[in-house]
Amino acid sequence: MANNNGGPWGGGGNRGNQGGPGGRNGPPRRPGDSPQIPEIDELMNKGREQLKVLMGGRGGVGGGPNGGDDRPPNTRGTVIFGLIALLGLWLYASFYTVRPEEQSVELFLGEFSSIGQPGLNFAPWPLVTAEVVPVTREQSEDIGLGRSGSSGGDGLMLTTDENIVDIDFQVVWNINDAAKFLFNLRDGPQTVRAVSESAMREIVAGRQLAPLLNRDREIVVQEARDLIQNTLDGYESGIRIVRVTLNKADPPREVIDAFREVQAAEQERDRLERQADAYANRVLAGARGEAAQRLEEAEAYRAQVVNEAQGEASRFSAVLTEYLAAPEVTRRRLYIETLERVLGDVDKIILDEGAGAGGGQGVVPYLPLNELRRPVAQAPQSGGN
Amino acid sequence: MRRLYIGLGVLALALFLLLSSIFIVDEREKALVLQFGQIRSVQEEPGLAFKIPLIQEVVRYDDRILSLDTPAIEVTPSDDRRLVVDAFARYRINDVVQFRQAVGVGGVNQAEDRLSDILNDVIRAVLGSDGVTSNTILSEERASLMTRIRVSADAQAGALGLDVVDVRLKQTNLPEQNLDATFARMRAEREREAADEIARGEEAAQRVRAQADRTVVELVSEAQKESEIVRGEADAERNRIFAQAFGADPDFFEFYRSLTAYERSLLGSNSTLVITPDSEFFEFLKDDGLD
Repeated sequence: MANNNGGPWGGGGNRGNQGGPGGRNGPPRRPGDSPQIPEIDELMNKGREQLKVLMGGRGGVGGGPNGGDDRPPNTRGTVIFGLIALLGLWLYASFYTVRPEEQSVELFLGEFSSIGQPGLNFAPWPLVTAEVVPVTREQSEDIGLGRSGSSGGDGLMLTTDENIVDIDFQVVWNINDAAKFLFNLRDGPQTVRAVSESAMREIVAGRQLAPLLNRDREIVVQEARDLIQNTLDGYESGIRIVRVTLNKADPPREVIDAFREVQAAEQERDRLERQADAYANRVLAGARGEAAQRLEEAEAYRAQVVNEAQGEASRFSAVLTEYLAAPEVTRRRLYIETLERVLGDVDKIILDEGAGAGGGQGVVPYLPLNELRRPVAQAPQSGGN
Repeated sequence: MRRLYIGLGVLALALFLLLSSIFIVDEREKALVLQFGQIRSVQEEPGLAFKIPLIQEVVRYDDRILSLDTPAIEVTPSDDRRLVVDAFARYRINDVVQFRQAVGVGGVNQAEDRLSDILNDVIRAVLGSDGVTSNTILSEERASLMTRIRVSADAQAGALGLDVVDVRLKQTNLPEQNLDATFARMRAEREREAADEIARGEEAAQRVRAQADRTVVELVSEAQKESEIVRGEADAERNRIFAQAFGADPDFFEFYRSLTAYERSLLGSNSTLVITPDSEFFEFLKDDGLD
């Protein structure tokens, strides 16, 4: 393989992009000029010895028919090939990459030696081993989620007033100290989960139900974050809590209808009050209108009465002036004119005193007074004429 | 050739002996070197260590913080209200020699059983002790209770070579059979609240309506009063005007007003007069007066 690849690369050696493939080819070359030569030599020797043992064993079986002449070159080629393979294997085991979101912890003979930075890292096996830990990547634990369906699930928590609240929350965390995380905790995620649950239950146990459902949520989140962080710091866990989100803080399913009824009742109360306000507004406006109407009517009455009185009075005064100038004539004229007007329009029956059988009242009792009214309206008129 | 094989054999044996006489203690563990079950040496620090091949064996124990969840147990605080409690402990193996002696070959599993028993006892004891009621557990004093549990558990677990780092209560719930009662109580409380809300709403509504009705009556009657006053003033004014005008000649007023009244009352077609021609008006009807 290595020889086949070497041909084309050698031909294209003048080209500028040689650096890329060269990088991959680099590792085999690098040990040559790096200070780790003794180790590698040692290992190569070791490998050679082992190979010799292997080759020797196999050679013993296959050596009979083939004869002794072919063996030395054959063995040497196999040994070199084997050594290169071993070297590759070893390099493969010793180099590792650390991505930007990761950190590696290197152990020299089991003892913590250093933190590896992002990029290509070299940890000569088996003296140095490395553990790569994702540090900045956020990991999350959902607590209470999905299990609150059954009563008694871990989302149900008891409050200080012995009510039950159903809480789902999420804890997002990452690692801020890879060495601590690795060396101090056997089970990181499980610890985060347990500590979070315990912390939330502790906080909920110290609070009343009603404020938990709404206005205390922010405070609870903050307290939970602090408490979880402090507890984990107490373990020297190397874990940092990024945030705590409270997804749900509700009454349990069994009683949520009752809580909704309270909300409905609050709205009903609001509705009743608003309806009453509407009624009050309507009625008061009506009353103001009516009051204004009565006042205006009174004013109108005043104007009418006073005007009429003034008119009548001045008419009278005018007539009086006239009358005083010629009292007798005016008086008679007024009388006659008035009766003319009155009698001109009125149905009338004129009975001469003498026309009756005897006495002035002779005829009157017999007159069909009622019938004289409308049905026989024509008769008196013709009589009048 | 033969010598080469022997040499290789010796080399392989030496390598084997070397490899089996050194061992690496990881940062995360502590190791015991046992010789036929007896503790020979303790390796607490990470690094390279040695043992005699074949005779001695190495037992490794985790040096990290280990976790243990206790099963839920029912405890009875001093107010006799039962609670279901579970907890978790964080502990580490502190003294490997003592640990080995205490749990033998059972290792961590057996230690967990023993520690679990200790925790249950301690939790029962602390939560059931005098002055600890269910209200105490469900309050901010919970943290101090947890500290007491930890201290007490730590003291007992010392015999196992364990160091109890932390004990925390997880659930402190009501037993399943009390759950329904609690839900019923919560429902009843809400229903009370709902009824209260509606009653208050009705109360407020009724008050608003009553106030409105009252204001209506007040407004209208006030206006009525004002209007009567105005009408009265108007009538008074009218009387004054008439008195002033008619007072100039009461006699003529009587005559004039009567004529006006005749005219107004008799005008129209709804009156029928039965009269004799004797009146002044008909004076000339019978007699031309020329006589």
